[in-house]
Amino acid sequence: MSGAEATTTVHSEWMQYAPLIILLPMIAFAVILFLGRVFNGHPFWKNTLKEGGLIALPVMGASLILSLLLISEFLKGNSGVDDIFEKIAWINTGLWDGGSTTESVSFGFGIYVDHVTVMLLFVASFLCLLINVFSIGYMNTDPINDNRNHRFYAEFVLFCSGMLGMVLADSFLWLFIFWEIMGLCSYLLIGFYYERPSAASAAKKAFLTTRIGDVFLMIGLVMLWDLFGSLDYAVVFDTQNIEAVAENSAGTLQWALGLMFIGAVGKSAQFPLHVWLPDAMEGPTPVSALIHAATMVNAGLYLVARMFPFFGAEALHGDLDDLAFIIAAVGGITAVMAAAIAFVQMDLKKVLAYSTMSQLAYIFTGLGCAMYLANTLDWHNDSDAHYIVVVAFGASLFHLFNHAMAKGMLFMASGSVIHEVHHAHHHLHHGDHGDDHHDDDFDAQSMENMGGLASKMPITATAMLIGSASIMGLPFIGGFWSKEGIIANAWRVAQDDPRFLFPAMCVLIGAAMTGFYMSRMWLKTFAGKPNNEVAAHVGPTNIWIKTPLFILTFVTLSSVLLAGMGFTHWAADTEYSFLSEKNILDGILYEMEHAFANSDAFFFILTYVAIFLSAILGPGIAMALYGGKLADGEVTKPWMRPVVRLSAWVNKRFHFDNTAFRESSLATALENRLYIDEYYDKAMINIVAGFSNKVAEADTEVIDGTIKAIESGSQSLSTAVRSLTTGSARDYILMVAVGTLTISLLIWGVA
Amino acid sequence: MSNVSRVEPFGDGFITALCPELMLFAGMLLLILVPNLGKGTFRIPGTQIRLPWLLGGTRFKFSSDPRLPAWIASLTLGGAFLSVLYIFNQGLERVVIVSESGKELLLINGFSRIFELIFFGALALAAFSSMNRLQVKGIGSKVSEHELYNNRRQADFYILMVTCALGMSVVALAQDLFVLFIGLELASFSTYVLVAFLKESKVGVESGMKYFIVGSVASGVGLYGLSMLYLWAGSLQFSVLAATFAVSGTTALPLIGIGFVLVGFGFKVSAAPFHFAAPDAYAGAISPVAGVLATASKAMGMLGLVRMLLIVAAPESSDGSAVWLVCLGAMAAITMTWGNLAALGSDNPKRMLAYSSVAHAGYMLAALTAVGAWNWDAAVAGDASAAAVAVMTALIFHLVVLVAFKLGAFLVLSILESEGGASRLSSLGGLAKREPLLAVAMFIFMISLAGVPPMAGFLSKLLVIMGIVRIAVGDMGAEIADGGIYVLGDMHWVWWLALLMVINSAISVFYYLRVVVVMFFDEPEQGREGPLPGGWQVRVAILACVLTTVLVGVAGDSLIRLCEMAAQSLNYNW
Repeated sequence: MSGAEATTTVHSEWMQYAPLIILLPMIAFAVILFLGRVFNGHPFWKNTLKEGGLIALPVMGASLILSLLLISEFLKGNSGVDDIFEKIAWINTGLWDGGSTTESVSFGFGIYVDHVTVMLLFVASFLCLLINVFSIGYMNTDPINDNRNHRFYAEFVLFCSGMLGMVLADSFLWLFIFWEIMGLCSYLLIGFYYERPSAASAAKKAFLTTRIGDVFLMIGLVMLWDLFGSLDYAVVFDTQNIEAVAENSAGTLQWALGLMFIGAVGKSAQFPLHVWLPDAMEGPTPVSALIHAATMVNAGLYLVARMFPFFGAEALHGDLDDLAFIIAAVGGITAVMAAAIAFVQMDLKKVLAYSTMSQLAYIFTGLGCAMYLANTLDWHNDSDAHYIVVVAFGASLFHLFNHAMAKGMLFMASGSVIHEVHHAHHHLHHGDHGDDHHDDDFDAQSMENMGGLASKMPITATAMLIGSASIMGLPFIGGFWSKEGIIANAWRVAQDDPRFLFPAMCVLIGAAMTGFYMSRMWLKTFAGKPNNEVAAHVGPTNIWIKTPLFILTFVTLSSVLLAGMGFTHWAADTEYSFLSEKNILDGILYEMEHAFANSDAFFFILTYVAIFLSAILGPGIAMALYGGKLADGEVTKPWMRPVVRLSAWVNKRFHFDNTAFRESSLATALENRLYIDEYYDKAMINIVAGFSNKVAEADTEVIDGTIKAIESGSQSLSTAVRSLTTGSARDYILMVAVGTLTISLLIWGVA
Repeated sequence: MSNVSRVEPFGDGFITALCPELMLFAGMLLLILVPNLGKGTFRIPGTQIRLPWLLGGTRFKFSSDPRLPAWIASLTLGGAFLSVLYIFNQGLERVVIVSESGKELLLINGFSRIFELIFFGALALAAFSSMNRLQVKGIGSKVSEHELYNNRRQADFYILMVTCALGMSVVALAQDLFVLFIGLELASFSTYVLVAFLKESKVGVESGMKYFIVGSVASGVGLYGLSMLYLWAGSLQFSVLAATFAVSGTTALPLIGIGFVLVGFGFKVSAAPFHFAAPDAYAGAISPVAGVLATASKAMGMLGLVRMLLIVAAPESSDGSAVWLVCLGAMAAITMTWGNLAALGSDNPKRMLAYSSVAHAGYMLAALTAVGAWNWDAAVAGDASAAAVAVMTALIFHLVVLVAFKLGAFLVLSILESEGGASRLSSLGGLAKREPLLAVAMFIFMISLAGVPPMAGFLSKLLVIMGIVRIAVGDMGAEIADGGIYVLGDMHWVWWLALLMVINSAISVFYYLRVVVVMFFDEPEQGREGPLPGGWQVRVAILACVLTTVLVGVAGDSLIRLCEMAAQSLNYNW
């Protein structure tokens, strides 16, 4: 881009390549779609290029490398640097400066990098690459996808490009544009199997539900524009501008941010706009992984995290605490509700879907608490308060990171299970004759058809085990570090403000519930004896699927190192540099001490209560109900043996009959997702549909009528006009003469 | 006129000043000589001694190569193009060529040079890409050399291209009605013959004839107008004419003269109602020539209009707006609407492009009208002058980028044409399957013509519309800034032209995208399933067009600055 004019705070060598992170996938989108259309079915395209998968892969790799370079640049120059700006104007010319008539107009896209950006940039680009690898193993080996995978890969890279663009954008306007690109892609990908009515309606549902949030987001942005006169981060986060706004219209600002938060609620599937997420499982599994781990749901969290500077502004001290409470409360409700629904799901992917909702709710609660602290404490001057705020914000971001990694892994692992169960079913019932019977009753996603897979798919089972442990927050693994932080902060805030007792209780109960449903899922899938013939014939999976699982297992396990490096501090505030402790060992010791031997008695007890709930009570009940030995003669890897044995022992010793609960009306309600979808349907049919029908009528008659009239009118005009072109030079000369006379008369007449 | 150096013909600095034009002249001589080189000898009378003098006789292998004239012509035109670019790069010097009696003949400044850039660029691309086009019997994927016209016939074609360029550049440089007319006719006659060049085909001859007859009538009327201006002012000099017009411009003689001149150039830009011969000519001519008509020839017409309307009959002369304002505004409105409506129902892609180029002429006339809305002399107008420069910049920019995507579209059609015709929309069918990259190129040209970002066509259209609106708002800006209230009626009426442009652009999207739909979603016609005819030259030319279209659209700053400079240098009171 030659039209680059840098208005940089800090100029960075890699900064100029940052737009490529977004542009490369966007170009790949066009290339894959085009080549796919042209070479569809061609053997080279299908086998060597994997229908575009191997075009997407290097592109996502390049995006990751560029992101990493940008991130390292940012971390290096960390001390004292808040953010990097790079403005790329599309066209720079004085012509845009409207002189006296209009305000100067500039069309440009800027790159904004700060600590939140850096973290999400890594999560998005890293997971997108891994999911791309996984997709090649998953999509290209299923004959049902043949000759249309190019559509998948094209939409996939566009989706990634939307997420990366949203993270890097330098204004809320561009954020919104990329946000909508993601909305579009989620619609397309969830409806990938559009020939199935369920997939088509799920896509529609996801699109419309998030659209409700988007409308509010748009109104919020317009209000923000009205307050600040711009949506650029540089303008709206400017301390002086915030002061000016705070003087007169702090209340309006709170409303604007609140409306924007509704947009985030829609995108991140929080109560009450959560209904689309479980249905979104209709898309292929890589899409679920993409939506749930790498991109879409994180977008809502990112938007809320982006609002942090408002909450942290001195000028708005104490003005925004209501909104902070709402954010935390929405999180609290969703955390418990989603976990409860997850109790009764039989579909492997649906359990994970509800788990996503619940874990995102944790992050929202964490963000709400952090924002409350930032808004009420005097953290700019008091170093203790500053530390509290930073750690609270950082814990939420850290949980985002841990959850993204673990959930990406869980979805890919579940995809691997489904893929193999499906293949085994095919092998058994249809033989290997390549016939396609996707319409039979067998449900490859139901846990009823699994069981005892730990010995058949050791890598997948391990990944699933580590991932579940991370989501549950078992001590030392992945999510533990961040979840403890969120719970502790919720209770810290609850001590200040009794309203927060509600979200604080929710997250604590939610911890136990998470422990239960995640253990239940793992045990039902991998422990015990195979539930049917198909599960007994499942084989190991292919290398494209194994690799990402392998990598993510290590990332999840190594989160203790990240915690030791002070992730919670530098992710939240660049004043704390990367590796703030002298060395990593000190850092780990510090975190350990903080987590397990807190000097404050209240938090000391709270920690152990949380650990008891999430690591002993929840999994214990799950084991009592669903534990069991593997089938005779089946051996699994040594690190899973104790888990299986323990579950079998607990099952034998503590097993109890839960038929009463399963037949209770509560369980039925949970199976029906608390009837929320039905209420929505009723409301839709009674109120919205009636209104819509009227609008549709008006549309066909007035708008379509007008358009049709214009269309037929212009066609007949076109015919009339062209009929004047007779093809005879005599007529043409006549027209010249007529024109000459008219011109002379006009000029003479006017003058 | 302080920093303009005056040079007499063949005086000091003449060659450096007119380097590109002299290159064309040299190229023309080469085109005549080189294909005739042979083993001819000359016998000294009365002796048996034969001296080889290289002309005539059995020709050498290289001089009988049918592609030789095309190479010479494209190198000449390309060289001229590059030398103009080099001149821009070196920093332009304003030079005026004066006759012995002190009359200004030719003026070299940013404005004339940027138009030469358009002419030479378009003609070089056309010459280069028609290298394999001129064959006797045309169907088949491979063009062997004996299928091409022999190179004497080829030389005729390319000599005409070079003379066309020479004539156009004379129009660009002219400072005198006589020189202007000479250049105009040199270029026009070349195009008449180029259109009718395929004398074996009935269509080619018929369309050439029609184009010639209607063109002659328009030229005749224009010449009559020029002579009226001479009769009235007693001078052929633009500067004298302008000065006289400012004093007594509103009398009948100059007004009718200007009106007649408008007819002459109106035919060149194919403005309604003088455009009727254009679609016939475009459809009958081979596609690269049609592309030249739609770009270079049109630019020449616009150039003439700018010179005559903005310099001779400048708005300054009457109170505020120009005398020709209503007339040109009506012409612009009719032209763009007519072009788009006719294109809407047209099934022949070449006719469709012809009508689309009529519509584009309408857009450009609208821009020109807007400039005439206010007195734009920098000394008098101040702020309005900036707006006028903005519109002129947009106009020039539009003409420059039009070369890329309009000519590019014709070149794509030219490949189909050498396969056996491109006279039906369905002959584009399945292009995406037959040669995907070509279809992508055509797609880019189409969306650029329709004005879709980020292509160059979008930028040019946006600049034109913004410029017109700025002029229409005029001095109300200050009022708005002060919180004053204004209504639509307060704006100058040229605002409606901008609105009409937007509506017309919306209509035009339909027929541009129809081409895309046919290319990507329809099956090839019967008998056209195979690969397209070869020829790397035309593909290279198309690639150049695609790159220009995209790059200028994404990062067109430097080109806009160049155009801005040209627009500023037009303001005669430099």
